[in-house]
Amino acid sequence: MSDPVPAKPGAPKVKTKAMIQDNTRCIGCRACMIACKSWNERPADHTDFFAGPGYQNPRDLDANNYTLITFNEITTGARPNWVFGRQLCMHCEQPACASACPTTALRKTELGPVTFNSNRCIGCRACMQACPFLIPKYDYESRAPLIHKCTFCADRIEAQLKPACATVCPTGAISFGDRDDMVVEAKRRIATSPGTYVPQIYGLDEVGGTSVLHLSSVPFEQIGYITGLPKEPMPDLTHRWLRVTPHVFGFLYAVFGALAWIVHRRNKNRGPEEHHA
Amino acid sequence: MTNHWVDMINADVVLVMGGNPAEDHPIAMNWLTRTKERGAYILHVDPRFNRTSSVADVYAKLRSGTDIAFVGGMIKYALDHDRIQQEYVREYTNASWIVGQGYGFADGLFAGFDQQARRYDKTRWAYELDEQGHPRTDPTLKHPHCVFQLLKQHFARYDVDTVCRITGTPKEAYVQVCDLYTSTYAPDRAGTWLYAMGTAQHSHGTQNIRSYAILQLLLGNIGVAGGGVNAMRGESNVQGSTDQGLNFDILPGYLKMPIEEDSDLADYLKRVTPVAANQQSANWLQNTPKYVVSLLKAWWGEHAAAPHGFAFANLPKLGRGFQGQGYAFLALTHAMFAGDVKGMFCFGQNPAVGGANARLVRAGLDKLEWLVVADLFEHETAGFWKRPGVDPKQIETEVFVLPACSGVEKEGSIVNSGRWAQWRYRAVKPIADSRPDLDIIDGLARALKAAYEKDGVFPDPIRHLTWDYTEPGQHETDPHRVAKELNGRYAADVTGADGTRVAAGKQVAAFAQLKDDGSTLSGNWIYCGGYTEEGNLAARRDPADAPNGIGLHPRWAWAWPMNRRILYNRASVNRKGEPFNPRKWVIRWDAQKQAWEGDVPDGAMPPGATNPFIMLASGVGALFSPDLVDGPFPEHYEPVESPVKNLLSPVQSSPCAQVWRSTDFDKYGTVENFPLVATTYRVSEHWQTGAMSRNMPWLVGLVPHAFVEIGAALAAREGIKNGDRVVVSSARGSIEVFALVTERFQPYYVDDKLIDEIGLPWHWGYAGIVPGDIANDLTASVGDPNSWIPETKVFLCNLKKKARA
Repeated sequence: MSDPVPAKPGAPKVKTKAMIQDNTRCIGCRACMIACKSWNERPADHTDFFAGPGYQNPRDLDANNYTLITFNEITTGARPNWVFGRQLCMHCEQPACASACPTTALRKTELGPVTFNSNRCIGCRACMQACPFLIPKYDYESRAPLIHKCTFCADRIEAQLKPACATVCPTGAISFGDRDDMVVEAKRRIATSPGTYVPQIYGLDEVGGTSVLHLSSVPFEQIGYITGLPKEPMPDLTHRWLRVTPHVFGFLYAVFGALAWIVHRRNKNRGPEEHHA
Repeated sequence: MTNHWVDMINADVVLVMGGNPAEDHPIAMNWLTRTKERGAYILHVDPRFNRTSSVADVYAKLRSGTDIAFVGGMIKYALDHDRIQQEYVREYTNASWIVGQGYGFADGLFAGFDQQARRYDKTRWAYELDEQGHPRTDPTLKHPHCVFQLLKQHFARYDVDTVCRITGTPKEAYVQVCDLYTSTYAPDRAGTWLYAMGTAQHSHGTQNIRSYAILQLLLGNIGVAGGGVNAMRGESNVQGSTDQGLNFDILPGYLKMPIEEDSDLADYLKRVTPVAANQQSANWLQNTPKYVVSLLKAWWGEHAAAPHGFAFANLPKLGRGFQGQGYAFLALTHAMFAGDVKGMFCFGQNPAVGGANARLVRAGLDKLEWLVVADLFEHETAGFWKRPGVDPKQIETEVFVLPACSGVEKEGSIVNSGRWAQWRYRAVKPIADSRPDLDIIDGLARALKAAYEKDGVFPDPIRHLTWDYTEPGQHETDPHRVAKELNGRYAADVTGADGTRVAAGKQVAAFAQLKDDGSTLSGNWIYCGGYTEEGNLAARRDPADAPNGIGLHPRWAWAWPMNRRILYNRASVNRKGEPFNPRKWVIRWDAQKQAWEGDVPDGAMPPGATNPFIMLASGVGALFSPDLVDGPFPEHYEPVESPVKNLLSPVQSSPCAQVWRSTDFDKYGTVENFPLVATTYRVSEHWQTGAMSRNMPWLVGLVPHAFVEIGAALAAREGIKNGDRVVVSSARGSIEVFALVTERFQPYYVDDKLIDEIGLPWHWGYAGIVPGDIANDLTASVGDPNSWIPETKVFLCNLKKKARA
């Protein structure tokens, strides 16, 4: 287990980055999916017709698709509607995956991305069980399987570029910038166009806050988002107990150490003839 | 477009009809997103709720082929509610012009229809002329035969209830669209009208567009920021290709092709040079002779001299065409099937999949002696001889496939829908021996010239052709040489009116300087001004906006004509040069400086009597237009294959439409055998016939297989589930595809009759990574009588679940 990289007290704060995924602007064109595959050099999918509602392909995120546009037909009476959602790693402020990973293959960096070091991954899939958004995907086809997920284009961000998806989106559905600014902008959009948005920023508070903030014109559960998540960071749930571990061991060490000392003393006090039993 | 992409941010209301920009012009959605942020409404009218509808404020369903009913109703709504820009309509349109007594309209036909020939005698639609030969006018717009009153009369039948009965649009949505859109009649509000193939590909496609123009003129939306009639063009450089005159009926710069009857240059110029209707008309095309002579001079150089009509004899002349039916695609494919066409060059096109009545097209290819295909991949046309069901040994065509390189592997310009010519550099060298089209044509031309030096029938047009697009001794062409020639230069030393001398060889600065005496040459007058002594203006990338802040970006690339970004912009000001909308002014007259500021004014003359529509002989916007062959006003007719009777008149479909019946492929169905309406369209993930996109594994992964979209109610009735295999058939053929069941396609009630419509993306063929059946096997050889464009957007079909073997 490892804790997320803690900020050193007093160190100058590097501005952590975030994205807004504004589904009211998304036209479902999937340029983001192709740009992501291009940048991450993922192979093409062999698909049959469509795997999800509408034109959705593939059905879910997987080892070759780090982001996915979902197609959701929501019909009210005679009025059809088509709303698109996007799935990708949320790059949580306090990621459960990094907390669960036994080899520190996953790490929350200062700039925002939760990075993945494939050299350290042992394919144990603890991260898959820990992630509340069900993001890391396993490479079931491989003999040396690793997990796969969105990298937030950490290399591009370091080079002062935007993530590949944000770069190609034609409508500006994907915005990129400092998280503080993105939060302000998301709130501004909801405030100025209340009829357009449900008044919720998905990712603002969920599991302690994430680096991808989603906006939607319909309730998030209608477009396949996992809702009802707690506000507290996931590592806190286990940390509450696991942080006691050293103390428990320390306590047990003290107890057994004391018992050993007591028994040892008793043996010493009994004298030589008691050893001949 | 009369306007341009960025200009959409100035619109208060955007109406998208016959187009799906979210899927087919996704970059445009950037501008539509921004205009929505500023509070604009987006209205989408479409048979199917698609990805554009998903971001629209109002979606109105429309049965394919009933666009004129829809827009005719909007015209009536605007007239009834007095939502017209009064000053604009009175001053800048032909609303006040009086039409002669020969004109009439009754029972679905305009005056002058010849049943036998299926054409109109357009002299019946002439204006009433005064003693000087100018059209009479009534500025009060009350004369019973003035255009305004005739317009009102014509569209009186297009009331909301009738319209909705025809189109199947829910009344509430229809009235919402009418109300929101006609609100742009106010001088400080603008509406932009976006359309694409859904408008054009009909037997009355040109009249569809006319209906938009009429409505926009009534609302004062032409020539203003955020307005316009804006075609979203179908390919990245189709604007460039029509600009260069690749269509059979035009020369570069939209000059008219000569016809057999033009015995010499003088004859031709007399026929094609318009005469001003009155003294207020600037009639810019009176300068046609200068542009024609400069073109001839560009092509034949010193061999184009005054004594011989500047080599006019070298231009091909149009006859009556294939089988007397003209030269357009539908006529060509029939001629091919009849064995009248020996060989074909097919550059960047895949008619075996993309052509209407595609089985006929492929049967026509079988008859060719030779075929030369230049493309990036070996597509269905290149491989027509080995298609499924065909024995290559039976086909005698000799096929040459020339590998062409892609847009990023060559230098040159691309002209977008907004007329912006943007120069592009070569990013990577072409793969293997694939070559730019320019190199391929250059090699062909030089070989032809060499052959014609030896012998040939009528060798002069080729032998004497100026052809110098490579540096001497070089193999690769230089697109700059072509661009410079298109702009034009002085063929001789010239002394201007003010005494300044310009030396021969200097680039011409503007087409106003082109001459008809052979002293100038220009390969395309509308591009004159784009590559001057200043340099290659299409290569400019200064993103700064102009002072009026309406997104003109005057130094980003170069727009034709003369970098004017909004056409007819003199209609955005009153007779004193004051903008109708000072907040979003396009041009305005500075009385102190005695000059215009803002966009390049459409006609540099000071404000006053000169009318703003300078490219029309009339000088004014045409509410009534005697120019089209099928009527001076649009009239609703049903498509040639329709499920219902025309509710508006006894004339079922366009009386002038070209309807082929000469081959076994030219069969037509009725609603009894083919009860469903079908339409065709595209998806974001694929491009045209899939010649490129179905060779891209990532794109194929998103959308792999051919499918048909059908409504949930229809699917339930036929026992079809999402993902089932189904057979879709028309009178011309049948195909097998996946069924995609959706709520987004809902049936129409047309006069209490339930009509279902289904839709087929047409991207598949037998080549590529994933093959699929060809949707155009179902479409018909029916053409619009003005543009000859095929009616591929609406036909009748049937649908059956595929029986399991």
